[in-house]
Amino acid sequence: MCFKNLPITFDSDGRARLAEGVADPYAVAVAEPKDFVRSAQARSSAGALAAPPRLREWSIDPVTRVAGALAVHTVLDLETRTAVEAHSMAMLFRGYEIILKGRDPRDAIDISSRACGVCGGVHSTVSSLAMEMAFGIVSPPLGTCVRNLGEVAEMFYDHPLHLGLLAGPDYSTAIVSVTNPELVERAAKTPAPHADVHGFRTVKDIMDGFNPLEGAIYLESLEYTRIARTMCTLMYGKYPHPSTLVPGGVSTTVSTSTFNEYYANLGKIFDYAKRLAGIWDDICDFFLEADPRYSDVGLRPSNLIQTGIWDDPAVYDATYANIDAWGQARYSAPGIVKDGELVTTKLTEINMGIEEFVEHSYYEDWTAGWNGSGANPNGSNGNGNGAGRGGPRFAADALGNPLSPYHAWNKETIPRPEGKNFKEKYSWATAPRWDRISMETGVYGRMWTTAMARQLPDNPYIEATGDGLRILLPAHDLPETELEWKIPAKLNAFERNRGRAYGVGFTAAIGMICLMQAFEYWRKGETRVSTPFKVPTDERVAMGAWEAGRGYLTHHLHMDKGKLLNYQINTPSTWNASPRDPFGNPGPYEEAIVGTPLLESVADDDIKGIDILRSIRSFDPCMPCTTHMDTGRGVITREVNSCGCTLE
Amino acid sequence: MTQYTKVVPGVPHGEIEAKPLVTDPDDPFAPVALRSARRPKRSDLVSQGPLEKAYLFWIVGASCDGCTIAVAGATHPPVEDLLNGRVPGLPRIEIVHTVLSVESGPEWTENLRLAAEGKLDAPYLIAWEGSVMDETVSGEHGYWMGLGEDPADGRQITSLEWLDRMAPGAAAVLAIGTCACWGGIPAAHGNPTNAMGVMDHLGKDYRSALGLPVINVPGCSPIGDNITETAAAALLFLNGLAPLPEFDELGRPAWLFTETVHRHCPRAGYYEEGVFAHSYGDKECLVELGCWGPVVQCNIAERGIVDGHGGCMNMGGICIGCTMPGFPDKFSPFYERPPGALLSTNANRVMGGFIRRLRRLSQTDKMRSARWDGDRDLPSGWGRYKTQPVGAERLVHRLYSRRQHSREGG
Repeated sequence: MCFKNLPITFDSDGRARLAEGVADPYAVAVAEPKDFVRSAQARSSAGALAAPPRLREWSIDPVTRVAGALAVHTVLDLETRTAVEAHSMAMLFRGYEIILKGRDPRDAIDISSRACGVCGGVHSTVSSLAMEMAFGIVSPPLGTCVRNLGEVAEMFYDHPLHLGLLAGPDYSTAIVSVTNPELVERAAKTPAPHADVHGFRTVKDIMDGFNPLEGAIYLESLEYTRIARTMCTLMYGKYPHPSTLVPGGVSTTVSTSTFNEYYANLGKIFDYAKRLAGIWDDICDFFLEADPRYSDVGLRPSNLIQTGIWDDPAVYDATYANIDAWGQARYSAPGIVKDGELVTTKLTEINMGIEEFVEHSYYEDWTAGWNGSGANPNGSNGNGNGAGRGGPRFAADALGNPLSPYHAWNKETIPRPEGKNFKEKYSWATAPRWDRISMETGVYGRMWTTAMARQLPDNPYIEATGDGLRILLPAHDLPETELEWKIPAKLNAFERNRGRAYGVGFTAAIGMICLMQAFEYWRKGETRVSTPFKVPTDERVAMGAWEAGRGYLTHHLHMDKGKLLNYQINTPSTWNASPRDPFGNPGPYEEAIVGTPLLESVADDDIKGIDILRSIRSFDPCMPCTTHMDTGRGVITREVNSCGCTLE
Repeated sequence: MTQYTKVVPGVPHGEIEAKPLVTDPDDPFAPVALRSARRPKRSDLVSQGPLEKAYLFWIVGASCDGCTIAVAGATHPPVEDLLNGRVPGLPRIEIVHTVLSVESGPEWTENLRLAAEGKLDAPYLIAWEGSVMDETVSGEHGYWMGLGEDPADGRQITSLEWLDRMAPGAAAVLAIGTCACWGGIPAAHGNPTNAMGVMDHLGKDYRSALGLPVINVPGCSPIGDNITETAAAALLFLNGLAPLPEFDELGRPAWLFTETVHRHCPRAGYYEEGVFAHSYGDKECLVELGCWGPVVQCNIAERGIVDGHGGCMNMGGICIGCTMPGFPDKFSPFYERPPGALLSTNANRVMGGFIRRLRRLSQTDKMRSARWDGDRDLPSGWGRYKTQPVGAERLVHRLYSRRQHSREGG
């Protein structure tokens, strides 16, 4: 029984239904957001007997070394040296789904890719998956292998870019010598435990390597992203924004060189993965040992949502009826982790628990005009275009699982730009929730679900142990190496980065599995990579789910007469960067910042807020595709007066 | 041109003391415009131009960051060489970019303010990524793309406001990527933000401080090398070492965008011989699957996408026209054959099919060494059947050979 907040129960056959006797099962009781600042002010004044509160307001607009436009407003309490308030703001809106409406569904592959220049490959793939479900076709096995290998390569460029260029400098000598000079001194005297793997003698040598623009690790990561891109282009043709993904497979012209060239580069990645794991183990352990309070930097509850990625070509059949089976067969498992425990790996349960709220986002609530939510006399019962204005289009999915009026298939977003106001609206990101809980997603999340699900097929490279992963990486220049990643006890900034570093090895091992499979199909003469199809002209409803570098990604579509009626994209950073929900609960960035200790060893006025920045960056924020959720009526509602209070 | 007066209703700005701005030039958290002077000076014995450094402000509008990712993949020259001043003759680039900058928030926007007010110690260029969105339709206090707060009153500044403030003083404005050049996908049908290109916004009469109109490097995303090469060419010109690079009537680097991508496409030979792909994954010409290559100006077929690798048609992807001003609506639906291709492909089937057969005929002769001519079989152990031509084919080969060698006087 995975739901605690939504009134969904399961009958003896395991079929989900709404609990009986609940009048309005998806009712939303809006709560006043907590005023952390006032309470800190009160505490601060009380503690220091009439001393003025020692609070500092910090508007980090823009937050740099993240992808896309992110701003964070935070308040630092210098007395307790913690952050007491945080608002996460997605700053950009482009309106992609308005643009998608009415188009040939196939165009969504190329257009949705442009939602994000960092993870365009996975957007294109998810779009293809959604179309396969809608059209009733499936990719031939080798087509699935090509997609898997393309996305493996995308991760090889994604994770090193973040670790080397974006997060890395926060742990560099240049930065730490300003915020915590004593740590640099200590690092110079601390031998690096994995020196034999990565070649840096002391921890300070590693920190030198992170120096922006000049450090060896910084520069090396750029080089490796280029190796990854060349691997990626073998499968995806072009990067960013692949050109070879189509419904029913890929249009890549596969030849003997395709897989051989890929293999030749994969060896280099094996070594790089071994080195990255060593580097980040040494850095994380150094900080955590120097001051255990670093384990509270960026700390939030271990609540994670993952959609799974890398399909088993023999199991994937693109049908919604079998989505749980082929989802669970993925090499990286879908799943929900609540307080560190895995509660489901079924994509239907993940899907039915999803809602998106806009209480604090620059959109109008599309359910506001309805006559009651949930059981709606005008809404349809799950298979058809309901009355729309009167209630949700879909009260249930095709299998009868209940859906919220706030679910993507029911979503009808109406953008309304207005001035930011932390009590009301302040972000272009919506607030997605699962079972009304704020969920995080990331590479460490998929390793977490995979480790706990223990559903991996028998293979020589990865073993899920229940509390971690054992990853065997073949020899290249460095010898064959087994990496062991353990599920962390606390989900904080350091463990996110460490997980991401091990994630390169995890992905490389999956790359080996997928490559061996590709060779196998190639050998058997199963060389087709695409399935012929015609765009259906009747009504279809479908979803695609895979994972970007940062985790969770879904596209939900509704089409009729060969054209898109509704196309919804929900991305990892929409979850992570989300603002508060109607119940007053902060989004993951906000949760992670509030309570983060400021561990700089400097005077009040010299505090740089590095631990706040470390917290934010540890999520690997990627904002471009976070902020275009929009399938409105194509009408922009303007403000009619200047006070921003035009809500009816 | 600061027409936006966006305030933040409901936020008690100034109620809490703001975190102080970092201005110590030795502090890595300070604006790079202040830190830059402390970076080591170049000590060249041979002068490599008067300009030792230049600032590059990479600012985004309706962007996906794809152009940023593309430029990070460039190899000729790579970005790190530009940023560290390692390319002879090129000034060192001091970058102000949300993805790469060390500093954040108010310290980051301070760089932009100093540039807008003409207070930098070196010339600056603007690289604009993403479409320009019309902030006059984002409500009185709203914004499509916010970038920085005004420290004085907490007013939300839009990224467009920075473009308006900084463009007049910039040495050059480079529109990077199709969105910035022509509007791109955010400007497609349905466009809710009234998105457009930089030229559309700044107008025909815009000239940079050096008298240049907007330079356009299109592509969605562009080839990384097209970006760094164009920037390098412009900088070499600024440094007095190279002539002003040639730009076409749309402000594109002429040497990169004059040719159609089809002319250099590795599949163009299939087109010539009238052989077309009919399933995704086929190796032949992709025109009948929806490829627009024959009319699209782009150099991806010969340059690849990263370090010479990949490229759309090279690997099997159709050209959807992503470098062109008409992208995407004039090329959609992408996966249908362009109507004009009905005529051209069928014409080529007839003519190309004839030529192809003649070529195969010649090929069977050229596949044999002169030594093998006559009655002998192929010496190859791989040969599974005899390939000696007989009858008419043999006669054709003889006539062909006689014609070919007729001028050799032997």
